[in-house]
Amino acid sequence: MVTTLIDPQTSTWVDVFSTKQGAVYQSDAERCWYVDFAGKVAKFDYRCLLKLKKAVYNVDIEAKLLETSKDPDVEIIFICACDHTYILTLMQIIALKELMEGTFVMLQLNSILQDRLYRIAV
Amino acid sequence: MKDLIRVRSLISAEVEMLLNQQVKKEAYSSSIYLSMASWCNRNGFDYSSDYFFKQAEEERQHQLKFYKYILDMGGNAVSPEVTGIKQEYNSFREVFEEALDQEISVTQSIKNIYARCLKEQDFVTNEFLNWFLKEQREEEYKARRALELFEVIGEEGTGRWQIDKHVGDIKYNSEA
Ligand SMILES: [Fe+2]
Ligand SMILES: [Fe+2]
Repeated sequence: MVTTLIDPQTSTWVDVFSTKQGAVYQSDAERCWYVDFAGKVAKFDYRCLLKLKKAVYNVDIEAKLLETSKDPDVEIIFICACDHTYILTLMQIIALKELMEGTFVMLQLNSILQDRLYRIAV
Repeated sequence: MKDLIRVRSLISAEVEMLLNQQVKKEAYSSSIYLSMASWCNRNGFDYSSDYFFKQAEEERQHQLKFYKYILDMGGNAVSPEVTGIKQEYNSFREVFEEALDQEISVTQSIKNIYARCLKEQDFVTNEFLNWFLKEQREEEYKARRALELFEVIGEEGTGRWQIDKHVGDIKYNSEA
């Protein structure tokens, strides 16, 4: 699935969510996430991850599908004040959206579990 | 896996979104009251105009209270866009009817946030909201009392002039 993860440093990464097209990992030590998508692994803090999600969700996929212009079928995902930019095709946008959706569901689930399990345990 | 979102912020994304909506609602209330103050002033109801100026200022304070709470909890407070403010009213009475409608809608929306926080067991935000629940008691009371003046005084003759004079005296002092 992912070929970029041979680096030994990455052993502390925890799987958050993955699809056939990509994956998101969390690093507790660095307090950030690594998004493996479109051939690169990029590091995001919480603020930037939210921005990425927002940028992807804001692409009007339906409108793009119906568009008949001859413009290339490419979307640039530029995230303000973060280091990464993605240049993606429509199919990749759909895949990234799926990845973001799954990631945030898992993060939310993790929040709920942590709250319910450890709040009572301490 | 550590809960990194919790480390960042005390409130959930959903509660943050609801609180930001409330920021916008309070800003809208403030603008509506400002517009009511203008209408009353233009039509010779100076006491009511003052009353609405004061209300507008209060709503602004409510807005800031929510705004700062979001930031203090590690969230992202969004400065709201306020549009569609009604500038003209058909009657003196209509102004007060809409003021009450606005307060009711604010109470409902705070109840919604409260319900959501209970569901998430976000007791911290519930405690924060308690102040607003109490405030809404006063806000609805005052708006309702103003409308009552139209009934007890009546609009005939110098009625509206009398009503206007009494609007400034409306107070809510409940110890409960
Ligand atoms: Fe208010
Ligand atoms: Fe109010």
